[in-house]
Amino acid sequence: MTDPGLIRNFSIIAHIDHGKSTLADRVLQLTHTVEARDMVEQVLDSMDIERERGITIKAQAVRVMYDAADGQTYQLNLIDTPGHVDFTYEVSRSLQACEGCLLVVDAAQGVEAQTVANALMAMNAHLEIIPVINKIDLPAADPERVRHEIEEGLAIPADEAVLTSGKTGEGVELALEAVVRRVPAPQGDADAPLKALIFDSYFDTYRGVVALVRVIDGTLRKGLKVRLMATGTVIDVEEVGVRRPANLPVAELGVGEVGYLITGLKDPSVVKVGDTVTLAVHGADTPLPGYREVKPMVFTGLFPIDGDQYPDLRDALDRLKLNDPALVYEPESSHALGFGFRVGFLGLLHMEVIKERLEREFDLDLLATAPSVEYHVYTTKGEKVIVHSPQDMPDPAMIDRVEEPYLTAQVIVPPEFVGAVMDLSESRRATFKNMQYLSKTTVDMHYEMPLSELIMDFFDQLKSRTRGYASLDYEFLGHRPSKLVKLDILLAGKAVDALSFIVHKDKAYARGKVLTERLREIIPRQMFEVPIQAAIGGRILARETVRAKRKDVLAKCYGGDITRKRKLLEKQKKGKKRMKNVGSVEVPQEAFMAILKVDE
Amino acid sequence: MSASSDTLFEASGPALPAHVYVHIPFCASKCSYCDFYSMTEYDSTLVEMLARGIECAFDRWALASLPGVVSTLYLGGGTPTVEPGLAARLIVSAREKLMLRDGAEITVEGNPDSLGAERVGELAAAGCTRISVGVQSFAARELALLGRRHDAASARDACERVVSSGMDLSVDLMCGIPGQTMASWTASLERAVDLGAKHLSVYPLSLEEDTPLAVACGSGLVAEPDPDAAAAMMLLAEEFLASRGVHRYEVANYAVPGHESRHNIAYWTGASYLGVGPAAHGMLDAATAVAVGLLDSAGAEDVARVRYWERPDLGAWLTDPRGESETLTADEVAREDLMLGLRLVKGVPKRSVTAAGLDVVVEDLVGDGLVELAGDGPDARVRTTSRGWLLGNEVFGRIWGG
Repeated sequence: MTDPGLIRNFSIIAHIDHGKSTLADRVLQLTHTVEARDMVEQVLDSMDIERERGITIKAQAVRVMYDAADGQTYQLNLIDTPGHVDFTYEVSRSLQACEGCLLVVDAAQGVEAQTVANALMAMNAHLEIIPVINKIDLPAADPERVRHEIEEGLAIPADEAVLTSGKTGEGVELALEAVVRRVPAPQGDADAPLKALIFDSYFDTYRGVVALVRVIDGTLRKGLKVRLMATGTVIDVEEVGVRRPANLPVAELGVGEVGYLITGLKDPSVVKVGDTVTLAVHGADTPLPGYREVKPMVFTGLFPIDGDQYPDLRDALDRLKLNDPALVYEPESSHALGFGFRVGFLGLLHMEVIKERLEREFDLDLLATAPSVEYHVYTTKGEKVIVHSPQDMPDPAMIDRVEEPYLTAQVIVPPEFVGAVMDLSESRRATFKNMQYLSKTTVDMHYEMPLSELIMDFFDQLKSRTRGYASLDYEFLGHRPSKLVKLDILLAGKAVDALSFIVHKDKAYARGKVLTERLREIIPRQMFEVPIQAAIGGRILARETVRAKRKDVLAKCYGGDITRKRKLLEKQKKGKKRMKNVGSVEVPQEAFMAILKVDE
Repeated sequence: MSASSDTLFEASGPALPAHVYVHIPFCASKCSYCDFYSMTEYDSTLVEMLARGIECAFDRWALASLPGVVSTLYLGGGTPTVEPGLAARLIVSAREKLMLRDGAEITVEGNPDSLGAERVGELAAAGCTRISVGVQSFAARELALLGRRHDAASARDACERVVSSGMDLSVDLMCGIPGQTMASWTASLERAVDLGAKHLSVYPLSLEEDTPLAVACGSGLVAEPDPDAAAAMMLLAEEFLASRGVHRYEVANYAVPGHESRHNIAYWTGASYLGVGPAAHGMLDAATAVAVGLLDSAGAEDVARVRYWERPDLGAWLTDPRGESETLTADEVAREDLMLGLRLVKGVPKRSVTAAGLDVVVEDLVGDGLVELAGDGPDARVRTTSRGWLLGNEVFGRIWGG
């Protein structure tokens, strides 16, 4: 057990791509936690997808020992946090385990939306914030401007900001000195009943659920009988230890220390992030504040292209759920796509990452339907119906009103793009609230808008209309009434459930028209003519036609052509297999995602 | 006339295939749509080495002492007529080294610009019976777009020379060329028949990846071939040629009755054939493949047929012609034969469809109007319909996919 006076717990927070993970790697190297030869770039990002995409998805915690300039050796617990807006809750719970943080800002990009959002979260958690201006090796680096932005935009004194380069390692030691000098040592009562915060968890195939914890009061020791306060589950502590970054068992964790706790539990759903661990007998009366259930915001239908893979998909989702409490799903069936699941995600990136992991790690071929949000439908009988899928939308005659989730969206852009952001936002039913200049080169704009509009390609559009400069952050606001209708798409006269979607009444016509046009391009010519219609109830809004295929023949087929031709036919057949037979129409997978890319 | 009747020793052990294909990879220049193996840079030494290599192959087959005689010989390319004396020499060698039956069909492919009086005379003297002339079109604009070396006048001259030499004239024509009109297409068809073609091959132009024409189409420089227009032209060809007594006998092939290509029919009726020359394909029954060492008898139980192709690069081929091969099971053979048989107007026997377990597939095809049943009882046949000719890939794909 270390004297709390020699412990510093800190996080690194940043906008995505500002170099947080590289900086964390440098810290590991500098403190000899990981030797250079063992250094895999971005050690803390251990998932393949994290490394490939260069983003951190799961928070990680690692203990390093640092010999400071004052001659003392400090125990530093570094808690890495995800940098994407989908994972805000993971950031906030990691911050609760710390007393301070390094707020990393790219020396060229400056303050961006998640810099602001993360800084606000750190302030709310009463953390000591140390500004770090990173990537000073870049030719476009302008630390003075960025210093100014931090002071003006975030109201954080930046005269003591540390200048670093994760790439060259310059300034990293100074950042650690600042952590030792400025971040307060943890305060806690070693004699009080145990209170430890669970800020993350993961599933180990051999050892069950492993919780990452920060001890606030008391001592966490192997063999103790402890209670998880939110769920009331009582367990025997199988092992405690610290991460360096591999798990290293220790006898106990004292006040202020960060480490892991092996619960032996096989059901991850009882180990809730944000929950408090206390003693089973004579434990603490009140849990630590701040715990809440994570709620999925975006829903999509995931269907195996090969119906036989349905059980595999279920198993794969069960497996991913072990490490991802935010993932929720329930079985769903579609006339067009067969059996699958309606899956809820924290956001679009979370959705993409999960879909990719399912396909890559579990070798599944999946088809995803257009994402939806959680609608609250109030019927004429006064009942409230929660709708996650257009298929579940009650008959229009039964609906009194519909409410949809709204967000406050924060967009940070250079002033010359304010007009472009306004145009886009207006076309997405967003209400302008206010804007302020963070500096001469950065404007902070606030909107209220429906989540359903945000998930429709909004971020890509925002990026392309601002030449990549805009950054976005958003926060759930609540449900608000909207004039929403269900739009059906009919192929060859039959409504295809998987292509239905919910849309604002005023946009139904335009979207129906664009979508039928897109589908006409995507659906290949078939043996017969295929009408494509968009309809609300029985009313047809738009119609396009895929003409019948007239010619499809390889005329030349002599001795030397036969093998090649047969292979071509096999390839063609494989291509067809990837399509879904909807009634008698062969529909390529991308048709089901076309709705997402509707640029009116 | 069926190819299998030429194979005297069928199913009675190893035999010399009755059909021989020889590939000559030389061309004077490359056409804009062609992705076949051919070379335009070569000298007389290479020509001599190729000829000797092919003659060696004839010798090897002769030394195998398999029973059987050759009833068709086809020299394709490339442009077999591009070098003086080459095609004629190979015909003579084949006759000397392999047993060529009396009345054998001997075809040489050629382009109008290499079918001068001298070349045509040489070939006739060597015993060639058919010349297949790559005319493609009689319209100057279309010829230019295809990157052909000849003009309409030299095509006409070449055709006239072939006819007056007494050899059978076959003409290749292409439809679906960007900018081609129904009128220019009709004119090309009419011209070919008027010049005395007893056989026509009619292909819709297909864009092969990375060819100059495909690149030009991809960049928007040239309009892409329109499949609907090509379909209309294929229908027009069938109707027009029939009115002139030239009848379709295969998807893309038309002939005055009695002038069908016996060699090509072999490909569509499951007969064995030899392939000699760079990139040439051959097909042998399992017994013959074992006899000539192409198949190991230990692993041959499930194998009914072997298809092989010689190495597609002349330099490599000269050192060792053996390329790759594939084996087909009896079930695959049955489906392949049906798939190819449905390319022929006469179709396939209903009972072989039943034997291959493809009745359900054929019923579906009948339902879609792509094939039809003709006759009943043991002589009932399955034939491709006029809709099926245009949507052939649908028919062939479903038959092969079983």
